[in-house]
Amino acid sequence: MNYWLTNVRLETGEYEKDNGTIGTKVESFHLEILNGTIQQICSATEPLPQKAEQVDMQGKLLLPAFKEMHNHLDKTYLSQPWKATIPSKNLQHRLDMEAAELSILAKTGKERAMTMIDLILRNGATHIRTHVNIDPYIGLKNLEGVLAALEHYKDVVTADIIAFPQHGLLRDDVPSLMREALRNGATMVGGLDPAGIDLTIERSLYTVMDIANEFDVDVDIHLHDGGQVGYYTVDKWIDIVEQANYKDRTAISHAFSLGDVSVGAQQKIAERLAAQQVKIMSTVPISMGRNIPPIDLLTKYGVDVHFGCDGFYDSWSPLGSGDILEKATRYAEISHKSNERALRNTLRYITNGITPLTQDGKYAWPNIGDEASFVLMNAASSAEVVARRPLERVVISKGKIIE
Amino acid sequence: MTALLLKRVRLEESFEYTNEQIVATNTGIYDVLITNDVITEIAPQIEVADDIEVFDAQCQLLLPAFREMHIHLDKTYFGGEWQAPSIATNGIQTRIDEEKILLPKQLPTAAFRAEKIVQMLIAQGHTHIRSHCNVDQQIGTKHVELVKEVLEKYRGQITYDIVAFPQHGLLKSEVLPLMKEAMQLGATLVGGVDPATVDRDIERSLQQMMDIAVEYNAGVDIHLHDGDTLGAFEIKKLAALTKEAGKQGHVTVSHAFALAGLEQSPLNELIAQMAEVQMDVTSTVPIGLKSNTIPIPYLWENGIRVSVGHDSLVDHWSPFGTGNTITKLNILAERFRYIDEYSINRTWKYASGGITPLNDAGERVWPKVGDAANMLLLDGVSTAHVVARRCPITTVISNGNIIHQSSIELKGVYR
Repeated sequence: MNYWLTNVRLETGEYEKDNGTIGTKVESFHLEILNGTIQQICSATEPLPQKAEQVDMQGKLLLPAFKEMHNHLDKTYLSQPWKATIPSKNLQHRLDMEAAELSILAKTGKERAMTMIDLILRNGATHIRTHVNIDPYIGLKNLEGVLAALEHYKDVVTADIIAFPQHGLLRDDVPSLMREALRNGATMVGGLDPAGIDLTIERSLYTVMDIANEFDVDVDIHLHDGGQVGYYTVDKWIDIVEQANYKDRTAISHAFSLGDVSVGAQQKIAERLAAQQVKIMSTVPISMGRNIPPIDLLTKYGVDVHFGCDGFYDSWSPLGSGDILEKATRYAEISHKSNERALRNTLRYITNGITPLTQDGKYAWPNIGDEASFVLMNAASSAEVVARRPLERVVISKGKIIE
Repeated sequence: MTALLLKRVRLEESFEYTNEQIVATNTGIYDVLITNDVITEIAPQIEVADDIEVFDAQCQLLLPAFREMHIHLDKTYFGGEWQAPSIATNGIQTRIDEEKILLPKQLPTAAFRAEKIVQMLIAQGHTHIRSHCNVDQQIGTKHVELVKEVLEKYRGQITYDIVAFPQHGLLKSEVLPLMKEAMQLGATLVGGVDPATVDRDIERSLQQMMDIAVEYNAGVDIHLHDGDTLGAFEIKKLAALTKEAGKQGHVTVSHAFALAGLEQSPLNELIAQMAEVQMDVTSTVPIGLKSNTIPIPYLWENGIRVSVGHDSLVDHWSPFGTGNTITKLNILAERFRYIDEYSINRTWKYASGGITPLNDAGERVWPKVGDAANMLLLDGVSTAHVVARRCPITTVISNGNIIHQSSIELKGVYR
């Protein structure tokens, strides 16, 4: 498949405005797309080959496609009639309520996951990292639904599929169910609150790593445990990563505890996370009394931070939007990033670190040979995109325009 | 006489319980007849003469319209070119210094942009707008005049308040005569800003503000960002002045950040003083990492009316802001950890001037015959559904007239 994406605007640099603020310089280009990658980039002032197929983007700003890095495609009520969440007394009560409806929901797994993928994709994310329950109640049923849904979108959505022991890893035959999941389509190993749920930190973490090693797959652990116990869990996990030579292959999701400790402790763990390239996944919650990891500090220390929408419209939360860009907007707002550069740099958390301009405003993306996965919007710059969150978007995945 | 018959609207009737827990909202489908600007009949089926306009609501949910209670229509980038705020090196003073140059420069486009916001707010379901308008040495009363002109154009669609707002300090920028002029020109409320931080004279600043209010028989709406004990002290002083001036029920504190920073016992004490003079509060539901939002539900439970406002959509203070009040309530719900049908349902009151279809006990109290016909049709099946999933507004009705419609594919309970 070969065509030209014409009249797209790319960010090419910075300039100083009359009022003394930094503005983003944009220019128009034509991009040749061949087999899902960028073949040529030329100025919009240059003529195109006569017979070339063209798709006119009419001056829309071109940004890298987004990545949704923490989700639960198996849990949503989307495509089913509205219902709110029932309040729970505590985490165990919440888990019990989820368990009670798992088998009913499993019947519509594919349909629900497809509706969610569709929403996430149309908002601009062409990659989805999903956790999928592997539990003693329905075993691999949710995995089957999610795999079937992702199969439907395989040409336009890539995915990480994490076998997730939502109801505890060290119970019943869950470790063997986890292994079965990895033999049947799951691509990563998950984990959950070793202290809070498994009531054993080390054995839980080692079991996660053993399974990962056995199947040679990456890891992403849910860690809500707060304060020092959560902090210790992260610290211990980094030990295990070192021992297992699992540098750059693991992530901690939520990691609220990193927001609960002193700045000194944050710096210490940030150095260790960066050294072992352990990533942090945040859903940027705003509920009062909830600390979130020190994202700016982690970024400064070289830790990769990614955002996700988390599960939404499910038995855990009825809120959300399925728009990963909203998480970037929200992070910019809560951390008071309001100037052009600060806004622009926030985009990195939803694009796997890619920004069109470097930190200091030099051209960085796109380049010939890059994957042709884009989001296009009517906006003056990526800073405007982050601040204003335009709703109308054209999404292109590996050269395919999402209709 | 003008009349409008809404066929097949969904009205909330009661809450549904399972194991003594509210799990859903029960609704019924009704016809609603509006004559002139009030509701005159609500029944399962209403037949009317041929010459009466009939609108088929297709079982969409009917909810009370929104009131935007804190916005600055006069100084915005909205409708203009994208511009990020500069880096503020001297806090609020940086912004005030910027205004002295920026606002005169923006004057030629100010009315156009104000109107763009008004149109957007109408499309987002607001039938009342309270706008603060700068009164300062550079702009004089021009913002009050131009905003009034814009809002007057939409009379019949919206009601409004204009707050004469001495952004650069009532005392500090010496705008007392200009403030009086603004009141004569049609401002309906007297504004103010941080008597301590900006004017550096709490006593005299508050007193002068209240004097203007008394002279022009107007209410007050003051911006108070001053924190914890300082802000609390100012509110306390203001409450005393309110009582003295007989302005009970006519004084609003905007932002009131102090309420987010007090211990329980001084907070309760302050709330009691505010409630005694029926002081109300507006909040943008701010979500900063290191700051709390004021305890909105707690204030309401203790007799303080709280309203939400967007403040800014995009201006030299902040690039954020949507003008979408359903999103605002959704954020409020997330901020206060509301996940169930009942508590999400109860958020609507913060945006509608206290009007909700069901009362706290779950009894249907709106709409009733005789109620003003300011309302919205939405593609959702309950207030909680609308707020949680941000269901879209399809129709805005003001004073019995349809003033905005957008056509979308209706999904109802599946949205």
